Amino acid sequence: MNRGFVWILKALLSHYWRHPWQTLFMAIGLIAGVGLWSAVQIINQHAEASYRQAQSLLGAQASYWIQSRRDEGIEQSLYIDLRRAGFRQVFPLIELEVGTVEGISVSIIATDLLALPGDAFGAEGDTGDFAETWLKFVQPPYRAWVPEALARELRLEAGAQLRLRGGRSLPPALIQAREQQGRRVLLDIGAAMSLSGSDRFSYLAVGPVTQREHARLAALLPEYLELTENQQHIDLRELTESLHSHLTAMSLLSFAVGLFIVFNAVRFSLWYRRATILDLRLMGCATQQLFTAILLETLLWSLIGTALGFGLGILLAHALLPGLGASLQSLYAATVDSDLGLSPLTLLQAWSITLLGLVWALSWPLYRQLQQSSLEAGRSAGLLRDEAVARRRLALAALALALIAGLGYGRIETVTQGFVVLGLMLFAAAWLLPILLAAGLLLAGWLVPRSRLLPRWMVSDGWSQMPALRSAMMALLLALTANLGVGTLVDSFRNAFVGWLEVRQSADIYLRGPRVDYGRLRASPSTRSWLAASHYRIGVNTRWRDRPTLVRGIDPRAPDSLELPLSLWQGESAAAARRVWREQPGKVLINEQLHFLAGVELGETIELNTDGGARKFEVVGVFYDYGNPYFQFYLPYEVVARNWSHHYSRGIALWLKHDNNEAMQQAEASLTALGARPGDWISQAQVRRLSVGIFDRTFAITAAMNGLTMIVAAIALLASLLAILQERLPQFAQWRALGLRQGEQLLLVATPLLIFCVIAWLMSIPLGALLSWILIHKLNIISFGWSMPLVWEFEPALRLALLVLLICAATLLLVSYQWRRKMPQALAQLGETI
Amino acid sequence: MLSIKNLYKSYQYAGLRQNVLEGVDFEMDAASSIALLGESGSGKSTLLHLVAGLDRPDSGEILFAGHRVHAEPEAALAAMRRAQLSLVFQQFHLISTLSIIDNIRFQAALCQRLDARYEHELIERLGLGAQLDKYPSQLSRGQQQRVAIARSLLHKPQLVLADEPTGNLDEASSLEVMGLFSELVKRAGSSLLMVTHSKAMAAFMDRRVNLHNGRLAEIE
Repeated sequence: MNRGFVWILKALLSHYWRHPWQTLFMAIGLIAGVGLWSAVQIINQHAEASYRQAQSLLGAQASYWIQSRRDEGIEQSLYIDLRRAGFRQVFPLIELEVGTVEGISVSIIATDLLALPGDAFGAEGDTGDFAETWLKFVQPPYRAWVPEALARELRLEAGAQLRLRGGRSLPPALIQAREQQGRRVLLDIGAAMSLSGSDRFSYLAVGPVTQREHARLAALLPEYLELTENQQHIDLRELTESLHSHLTAMSLLSFAVGLFIVFNAVRFSLWYRRATILDLRLMGCATQQLFTAILLETLLWSLIGTALGFGLGILLAHALLPGLGASLQSLYAATVDSDLGLSPLTLLQAWSITLLGLVWALSWPLYRQLQQSSLEAGRSAGLLRDEAVARRRLALAALALALIAGLGYGRIETVTQGFVVLGLMLFAAAWLLPILLAAGLLLAGWLVPRSRLLPRWMVSDGWSQMPALRSAMMALLLALTANLGVGTLVDSFRNAFVGWLEVRQSADIYLRGPRVDYGRLRASPSTRSWLAASHYRIGVNTRWRDRPTLVRGIDPRAPDSLELPLSLWQGESAAAARRVWREQPGKVLINEQLHFLAGVELGETIELNTDGGARKFEVVGVFYDYGNPYFQFYLPYEVVARNWSHHYSRGIALWLKHDNNEAMQQAEASLTALGARPGDWISQAQVRRLSVGIFDRTFAITAAMNGLTMIVAAIALLASLLAILQERLPQFAQWRALGLRQGEQLLLVATPLLIFCVIAWLMSIPLGALLSWILIHKLNIISFGWSMPLVWEFEPALRLALLVLLICAATLLLVSYQWRRKMPQALAQLGETI
Repeated sequence: MLSIKNLYKSYQYAGLRQNVLEGVDFEMDAASSIALLGESGSGKSTLLHLVAGLDRPDSGEILFAGHRVHAEPEAALAAMRRAQLSLVFQQFHLISTLSIIDNIRFQAALCQRLDARYEHELIERLGLGAQLDKYPSQLSRGQQQRVAIARSLLHKPQLVLADEPTGNLDEASSLEVMGLFSELVKRAGSSLLMVTHSKAMAAFMDRRVNLHNGRLAEIE
């Protein structure tokens, strides 16, 4: 690099030094865009790594499970007998759900560390302290190993004991975790038994066995136990792919909004420097040199954007991960720990996308600038003159994009294809906007009476502001559309979900666990005073079309079954379809996931593997099943009990006669008397709070990204208006000299801005509705297999209008402050001679 | 040093072709100065732009310091402008984001001909000593024009092309700046081709030529 080139670079870069506002906006646009994109990338990649780890979770790797057919757990003596018979690959597990005194649900996994096969717990490679830690873990008073994230969530410090409902508490906490325990608290089996008050294991896990060993093991088991293959080996990556695709698409949208800002900033930075570039060319700088210098500048920006944007991404990922991690665990049993592992590949990707974005933003304005002859480059009329041509070209490109999106819509089969079509649609709308802004200005000009000179002038000034505001308006349109579209999706989903919960979780108490005999409960005289109805459910885990599947046996006459919400049904009504299913043999109800993801149709006959071989069932209805990643078949209780001997209990739902505290207390006392312990049951209020909590946590990330996207768009607007101010200051000074007041001058800037914002807002309403329609009716179904009615409300659009007005007002305030600062100098230079 | 032969240039305006230069022939010696006079729209600035290689003639030849200006590629013309030419305009064309001292040094730095003693002399003669750390927007127009003059001379170009360099200044200041300018050009050993309307400014030059109806004629 020779010294001459350094001087060229110095001249070009000095622009940023002398115009810190523009530098700041460019940096913010880049950093925000990269930050939002990389936050989601970091989360997604981190989640993928966690899914790989999940394969090694305790019990998840077992080849077989030994389970009780009666949901009664397994006696210790049987486990000892099996070990004595040489089955060293068998180890016990206890899984518990306990509630803290604050009402937080905590998962516990317990095992016998001594019994774990070989490398199942990865003890090797630990420090010398491990032996002591391990001894404390297995000896009273025991230790509870709590993952750091969970400890933070529970506000639990090392050595403290977590207080549980019913006066119990966990052993002293040790803040450390093994990847095999996931987000669960790990206890020694003895500690778990004393906590649960039961001397039984939840199940036994069996490591790899030969065919002979398998036969011998099966023969050793008593009749009430069964050796089942671990069929619930869940491919988490496949199950969660859609959720992650959604997040990636949202982050790309944010990046696109950021890109519009960068595009704006790059355009302005070149436009402002046209005089400098002209001077450089007059002084003999070759086009090639200028091009190289600007490319180098771009590289510098990409490095700054990546470094700071990635830093922001890490902060955002840290903030968003706990909520998302909790949702992933609740929805998919997928464990995502909260300690981020950052890969250099993500950083490289962030840099590549930043550089590509910048080059994309820079290429056309730079090409135009350098293509012009030195004389043309100096003429300031260029931007205005080109504006009409640019509008027409953008509109034509928009029509082409819309056409491609329209053609592609019918062919959407995957989430990625869906988001490509959405992207095309949004860009088409953004590119169509300038011509609509121009039409709006023409209309406004036509509406203002010819005699009103000042208002006419204010409207017509929009033509001068258009080049500077165009990209910012596109960014605003995208941000408004995304807000409305995604907001409508979330509202519609919440609406459908809460309505669905009311029917599906209409029981007052849900009881699980082996301590209570459900038959005895229903027959007991002590329950008659409060028990209105009950629903005992059983189930079988299997795989169907290579996806984890539940076959559930439910009581067809239970209150929730009688009202089971169906999205599709055979016959004249949902009630008629439910009656057919209840009364005629060989009928089955399927969840929407089976209909949309596996393509099972109404009236279709499907085959299920039963103890007696394959049996055929006819599909008579499709039920909503939000939040469930599995396929699910509903059959009457007796059919499942008859056809699958190894079915297990899925608990019992209880309806109270009276909806009050007294009835609840009576029921709880009754359940305790029947042998249940706190934690075995959960109330309707708790289960709904839990479900809605999961929902809100899942969509918290969406709300956060929507908010950040709006902020990014607001910055674009501010940057553009300050650019107008900078560019036209001498002109404004001349008008001030003609007697224009500051208020009138502010109106001159505000009038076109408001016209443009109103047009962008108006356009975002149908576009947002279209976006939510595609998200709900196409992408949600492809992704999750859930359908729901679109609930459109005007209120969010009005809220956004208010927000846009506030952004405009704040922007104009800043502009007027800048005016106060700079106008005196501009006025002083008006008539200046030596 | 500068030789122009049979130069033609026309422009298209609203579908009509307007001939600006119609067979201009012109010779200029080294270390000489010429005032280019003419009515508005007579093509004076066009001729200047063609000599600087900022525009292309329809036909004819422009030869300058071994360059075939009418035919050379943009890169070669850029190199020529950088090292052998300098331009001074009515609008100063200072880089607003660089300090005054950086502006003065800029072109000399580009062609690596910085000369501290000469720089000091120029700054002193042009009375810019107290302004060096300021930015162009903080200077009066007259001061800005002095900076433009200093910048145009620091690398000692063979030819300085000036387009109404004092057009933005009042008469007294114009005479003062012009006097300084022509003296400094002579001292740098450069030639000066200056477009002007003003006979008073033209009087500072060795020769005066008039552009009328697309052709040049010497004024005695």
